[in-house]
Amino acid sequence: MKKTHFYTIFLGLLCGLPVLAQNDTLNVLDEVFLTDTKLKDFSTGQQVTVLNDSILKKNGALLTSALNFNTNIYFKENGLGMVSSPSFRGTSASQTAVLWNGININSQFNGQTDFNTLNAAGYDNISVRGGGGSVVYGTGAIGGTVHLNTNLDFSEKTKQDIFLKYGSFNTLDARYKVKTSGNKWSLSVAAARNSSDNDYEWPIEGKKNENGEFYNNNLNLGFAYRLNEKSTLKFYSEIFDGERHFSLIRPSETKTKYQNFDTRNLLEWVSEFGDFVSVARLALLDENYRYYANIATENYSSGDAQTFIGKYDLNYSVSKTLELNSVLTNTYTDGNGSGITENTRNIFSSAVLMKHRPFQKFQYELGIRKEITDNYESPLLFSAGTHYKFNDFYSLKMNISRNFRIPTYNDLYWAGAGNPELNPETSNQVELGNHFKHKDFKFSLTGYYIQIDDMIRWLPSETGMWRPRNEESVETYGIEVLTGWQKQIFKGHQISASGTYAYTVSENMNTGYQLIYVPFHKATGSLTYAFKDFSIDYQLLYNGEVYTRSDNNSRYNMDAYLVSNLGLSYNFGKKNTYKIGARVLNFFDEEYRSVEDRWMPGRNFNIYLNLNF
Amino acid sequence: MKRISKLLTMAILSGFFLNSCSSDDDIVDPIEEPQPEQAYSDGFFVLNEGGSGGGSVTFIDNDLQNVENEIYQQVNAEDDPGQYIQSIFFNEDLAYIVSNGSNMITIVDRYTFEYVDRIDSGLLSPRYGVIENGKIYVTNQGNYEAPGITEFDDFIAIIDLETLEIEQTIETNTVLEYIHEEDGLIYVQKAAFGTGNEIAVIDSNSDEIITTIGTEETLNSFEIEDGVLYALSSNKLEKIDLATGELLVEFEINSDAGNAGNLEFENDMIYYTIGNSVFMMEESADTVPEEALFSYTSNSDYGVMYGFEVENDRIYIADGGDFASNSFVEIYTTSGELIENIEVGVGPNGFYFND
Repeated sequence: MKKTHFYTIFLGLLCGLPVLAQNDTLNVLDEVFLTDTKLKDFSTGQQVTVLNDSILKKNGALLTSALNFNTNIYFKENGLGMVSSPSFRGTSASQTAVLWNGININSQFNGQTDFNTLNAAGYDNISVRGGGGSVVYGTGAIGGTVHLNTNLDFSEKTKQDIFLKYGSFNTLDARYKVKTSGNKWSLSVAAARNSSDNDYEWPIEGKKNENGEFYNNNLNLGFAYRLNEKSTLKFYSEIFDGERHFSLIRPSETKTKYQNFDTRNLLEWVSEFGDFVSVARLALLDENYRYYANIATENYSSGDAQTFIGKYDLNYSVSKTLELNSVLTNTYTDGNGSGITENTRNIFSSAVLMKHRPFQKFQYELGIRKEITDNYESPLLFSAGTHYKFNDFYSLKMNISRNFRIPTYNDLYWAGAGNPELNPETSNQVELGNHFKHKDFKFSLTGYYIQIDDMIRWLPSETGMWRPRNEESVETYGIEVLTGWQKQIFKGHQISASGTYAYTVSENMNTGYQLIYVPFHKATGSLTYAFKDFSIDYQLLYNGEVYTRSDNNSRYNMDAYLVSNLGLSYNFGKKNTYKIGARVLNFFDEEYRSVEDRWMPGRNFNIYLNLNF
Repeated sequence: MKRISKLLTMAILSGFFLNSCSSDDDIVDPIEEPQPEQAYSDGFFVLNEGGSGGGSVTFIDNDLQNVENEIYQQVNAEDDPGQYIQSIFFNEDLAYIVSNGSNMITIVDRYTFEYVDRIDSGLLSPRYGVIENGKIYVTNQGNYEAPGITEFDDFIAIIDLETLEIEQTIETNTVLEYIHEEDGLIYVQKAAFGTGNEIAVIDSNSDEIITTIGTEETLNSFEIEDGVLYALSSNKLEKIDLATGELLVEFEINSDAGNAGNLEFENDMIYYTIGNSVFMMEESADTVPEEALFSYTSNSDYGVMYGFEVENDRIYIADGGDFASNSFVEIYTTSGELIENIEVGVGPNGFYFND
């Protein structure tokens, strides 16, 4: 019944298109791929991909989908919208750091970010940087970093953006954003709701996704005020309130659900004096979860951690080509939860960075960081990056770094089991990137090697008690390709394409076997063709087969899958700032899953309306 | 979060409690019927609890030559016996496969492994079962409580053998684990995870707990033989008079190698394990053995002696491996000589004889 309804709407849209396409105003594509941002200043030798607002609208509110279809990051998702853990360059879920406006928000409890507990609508853009970044961003920045950013400007304009999307399985994605500013102040508010019954059919006779429903509400706020010519105050805030039921493999299983309520606040004071720029930051992060192991009862396990961060960043421009930067950070965390008695920990870190461009074509960057804490032996972290631009066509980037992932609250403080003797996981890594650019075409080929030691694993001790230990070493290497192209072929005809490919080998150094759930091959692609007000786009995601068995017994491999999305949109309104569109997700009805027995949806539909004024 | 709780559950399950056999496994079908051609007879089943995919069952014939893996999936296409399969019990021609993770019991023909029926409502983390008096008694561990919650929600489900409906439940407010039947009485171990030292006795006519037998130390496994209850804890073996509950004799077991577990009684011999070693003593012995009968080699981080059984002059050991790839079982003579090492499925946890 529901399905028929969507077919009708979709067919209706198709019929309407030839008429709508008569409008002859040029539609300028606003997708930006492979664009450097402010991260560029601290990313010498690395590559930053930016997903802007329009890409974030294409793939729905679940951050997993947006990143899965547009980046090299591989995701292991327990069914759509369920627990989603990333593997960036073959590393573990706690070896990808997520930064919210520059602040590390990985969970204090397990060191990870579940990418389905963030709503893509909250951010103006999301940047993804491959490779190490612990010197600047701290724990977990081994495989790469994901940056969630809010933009503030002083353009003295007001812009509002309403986005409403409704689709199969009663899925709602509603977003409202307003940006308004004077010449001394700027305000950005983004509110969003995402909900779904998520009861899609499985490709098994008579089975559907049960107990998979979820919702979340997200509010993001950004405010800036210019105190004077040289001094600005900024404030960022985010509230995320979500509940997910975890889907079942069989109806007889115990139904569970997970609630999380996270707030993030950041106050920033930027001031300039002479050749110095000083940034003082105060942040308060509060993460809160409840896990109901049986929704039929009121019992739950929970965790609550508050993190206070004070950060002082001083940049000194010695000359036009030489910059020195020091960053002092104090992070104080107070956390408790089921199985964890209340514990506080304090980590002080200092980092020194230097960037130098001795001549026009060559730039390099050096950084070191050291932490002081009672919790673990802190290794000296470093990074060194170079960028040499041979000509307009070719440049070469290189980066070497040592990074870490610190023990989590669970690792350190789990009642009776936490191990205070743990060391951080440390990585030594190197990457070499070849970047080509010709007119509207960009292409990069990056090779990397990472060795990670002291990987933390929970294992039984002599007494039978399970405790975490620094146990394993992993070696991961591979190549990454990023490419993008866009062109106006005739008047009114615009075409753009982008793609990524990753070849990843990630081996347990004790056994020599490829880690389970790390595909050798992943590729994504997108193609958009716009004619006048009408636009059609195609997206694809390919994940190669993965091992599910630690001995790489191929009999139990999970099949490769290729998922395609197809979208149509039409711009209208006086200034062409209104858009209506429809998308078919999993167009070819691929039967796929990224975790054993956890099927993903077949072909499904949505329609949307986007108003900008 | 979920991962951690599962991890801890697994931790607890394997850390404290490696035993997975029960005396009910050995029930010999008294009815000699002609068996179908591809019969899984004259051999035994190895239960593989499974990792992220479902569990599986391996059949090995008594000559240890013919090994068939995943027999349930082979016979019943597009189905599996569920997540984390825990145990099997038998009744006449039927085998009942208990899935702890999927809250269900799959009933198959024990000789063909063809699907017959399924109990899939009302169970909550089922562990072990036994059949008596037209009823199935199944221990359920309920929700694995969050730390700090002291009340246990474990229960015994009493299921009508014909309708497969749950007729009654018995709550004990303790953790529940093994269940044995002896002379019409149902014995339920009210102990697991290093806590509990009682056995509840249920009358299968009234379905009420008629008495509770206490042990001195925390129980991890027990056996009943000739009116004597043998109760094993990590460092003590107790013999208790089944009728009176009186302690007859107790033995201290001290070993640097770890905790004792996996109590088995076979042919007047008592067997138990410590770490990767098997110990054997005569029923009438005055002291526990100082020397192990034999030890086996394991690389498993948390699956050493994951399954253990003694049957017909053979000792069966299952090694849990890494729970993410196929592991193995080893079969020894009762004098400790290795007969065969056989690859089976993921996380083998028990042996069930089908003669």
